[in-house]
Amino acid sequence: MKKATSIVLAIMAAAGAGSATAEELLVGVQIPLTGPLARVGMGTNEGIRVAAEVFNKTNGKHTIRLVTVDDESAPAKAVAAVEKLASEGVVAVTGGYGSNNISPASDAANKLGLAYITSGGVDDGLVESGRKNFFRINNTAGYQKALVGLISDLGVKSVSIIYSTKDATAGLATNVQKTLAPKGIKVAMHAFDPAITDFKPIINKVKLQDRSEFIAMVGYENDYVGILRAARVLKPQAKAIAGVWSLATPKMAADFPDLMPNVYGTAVLPFPVNFTTPEGKTFGEGYKKLHNKEPDYLGQFGYVQSMLLFEAIARAADKGTLQKNGVAEEMRKTDRQTLIGRVQFDANGDNRNFTQRMGQHQGKQVVLVWPKESANGKPVFPGVPW
Amino acid sequence: MTELILQAVYSGLLQGGSYALIALGLALVFGAMKVINLAHGELVLLAAYIAYTVETKMGWNPAMAIPIAVLVVTATSALLYFVVGRIKTNREINSLTLTYGVGVILTNIVLMIWSADVRATSSSWMQEAFVVGELYSMRSEVLFFGVSIVLIVALWWWLSRSWYGRAVRAVSSNRDAAKLMGINPGRTELVSFLVAGLLAAFAGVALFSYGTITPATGSVLTVKAFIITVLAGIGSIPGVLIGAVLLGIAESLTVTLASSALQELAGMGLFLLVLFVMPNGLFGATRRRG
Repeated sequence: MKKATSIVLAIMAAAGAGSATAEELLVGVQIPLTGPLARVGMGTNEGIRVAAEVFNKTNGKHTIRLVTVDDESAPAKAVAAVEKLASEGVVAVTGGYGSNNISPASDAANKLGLAYITSGGVDDGLVESGRKNFFRINNTAGYQKALVGLISDLGVKSVSIIYSTKDATAGLATNVQKTLAPKGIKVAMHAFDPAITDFKPIINKVKLQDRSEFIAMVGYENDYVGILRAARVLKPQAKAIAGVWSLATPKMAADFPDLMPNVYGTAVLPFPVNFTTPEGKTFGEGYKKLHNKEPDYLGQFGYVQSMLLFEAIARAADKGTLQKNGVAEEMRKTDRQTLIGRVQFDANGDNRNFTQRMGQHQGKQVVLVWPKESANGKPVFPGVPW
Repeated sequence: MTELILQAVYSGLLQGGSYALIALGLALVFGAMKVINLAHGELVLLAAYIAYTVETKMGWNPAMAIPIAVLVVTATSALLYFVVGRIKTNREINSLTLTYGVGVILTNIVLMIWSADVRATSSSWMQEAFVVGELYSMRSEVLFFGVSIVLIVALWWWLSRSWYGRAVRAVSSNRDAAKLMGINPGRTELVSFLVAGLLAAFAGVALFSYGTITPATGSVLTVKAFIITVLAGIGSIPGVLIGAVLLGIAESLTVTLASSALQELAGMGLFLLVLFVMPNGLFGATRRRG
């Protein structure tokens, strides 16, 4: 009996020692997997999963285990998701999509003392509210620089901005207008409700009243499809048309071949993707292996934000400051080249280095056309899909 | 300016036709059974995804999906009826909760099968411009506006001239009295659910042909259909068309004359105004009896 007890104790001790060396750290993923933001949430989540896979393979000391909660694209559910994750013992949270969901969720994380990182909220209010544990790798300014840069380089004299009334899109559209007006470019603004499906009355105003040389769309995929279809029917005399996120992607080229030719959109990488850095190659291979498809920009953002968080967690764990707000402190020390460029966080948790690039659908490819130093081709100008 | 307004009225008219097609099924079930089918938008969405599958997997024009969509959606609608039919007490309230739940289930089934990506037809024929003088639209919009009118006339004829249509109206008017007249209320209600499923199938294929769809679209469609049904007045089929066209034109003119950001507000404003002046809707029961 005594011998049996000793064996059991020895096994228990061995098991305890094993778990101590493996040091599994729980990281919360609060992300929309259902509801209106399901598509972008799923895309980001794919990158987060790749980051965990790559981190666990390359970091021998710590293992990240993801705990994922679907926030159903709703602010109240996003808060509940963060609280649930905290109750399960996560050390930080990655994810979030939509500024209106991220704002209350990151507030909850802040109150619970959890570091929160995202790439899904570009509303400037997120970094102006004094949340000490909040970090994001992209922002409106980066998209604004890219769109304004392209418009300036193309030398157009008038622009019609068609934008959704959501916080992030309205903010970006207003900032672009404020930047273009002092350059002597005539700007006409057209806000639209996110529920609208028929864009012909707006495009008709662009065609008959604005007569702009450039149409800028600030919305989401379904809006772009509606606007481009209306433009294809009404044929305004614009010389170019551009959008921001979710437009210059291979998926849009494949799904809407008639609507995409010559359309510009923000893009991190050209398509076909050609990763040149070791980290890029690791990400690309890991993504294809895990998801059996080519990586896209959402996956890339999800990967970068999560990898930076995992690295900060590992550093805090090494220093023994995980429970003393160490993750946020380590995040603030971040300074490294990533797949989206150099990332450093300012006092508000914003990545001020973030600058997007502009790509153009040319054939079945997405060619980077702005800025010149990142370009792998020249813009087709004038050029519209109709 | 005239050109802008004419185009706005034309676009609103076509948009109204598509709204009417979406609202017809809900109006029929609401009128016949006093059941607000909150899963109606998801039935329309199911048909739209069937059209997407037919287009992408078989390479056919989405309009060719109508027979398959009719089969699948009417079968789903029948299943829904059997679930709703089991409610014995407080049917109006309990069916709201139940159909809402069914809607959530259907949304998630759609999400699991077709993913959350934005889908729309890639058929060039459907997207090509249809030009009448200075008025522009997509071919698919004109095609399904015509389909919408035909279906509304057919439904109106069926309800007012056919035996089953009269039975539906009788059950709607007084279930017990209809029973005494030899009408089987259960079977009649099943028929109205099947017809609603058929209408939802057409509406879904139409939606895929001129719009964009995601799994979250269903609930938006239900709300729009409900607004039109109430605006029209319970049980009025021509009222659905007129209410839908009014809504479409009001929205379109708001975009042209004011701001597109006010479009939804204008629609809701019209809805509230009509209900304030005519609480039974444009063609509600009190008015018709009078």
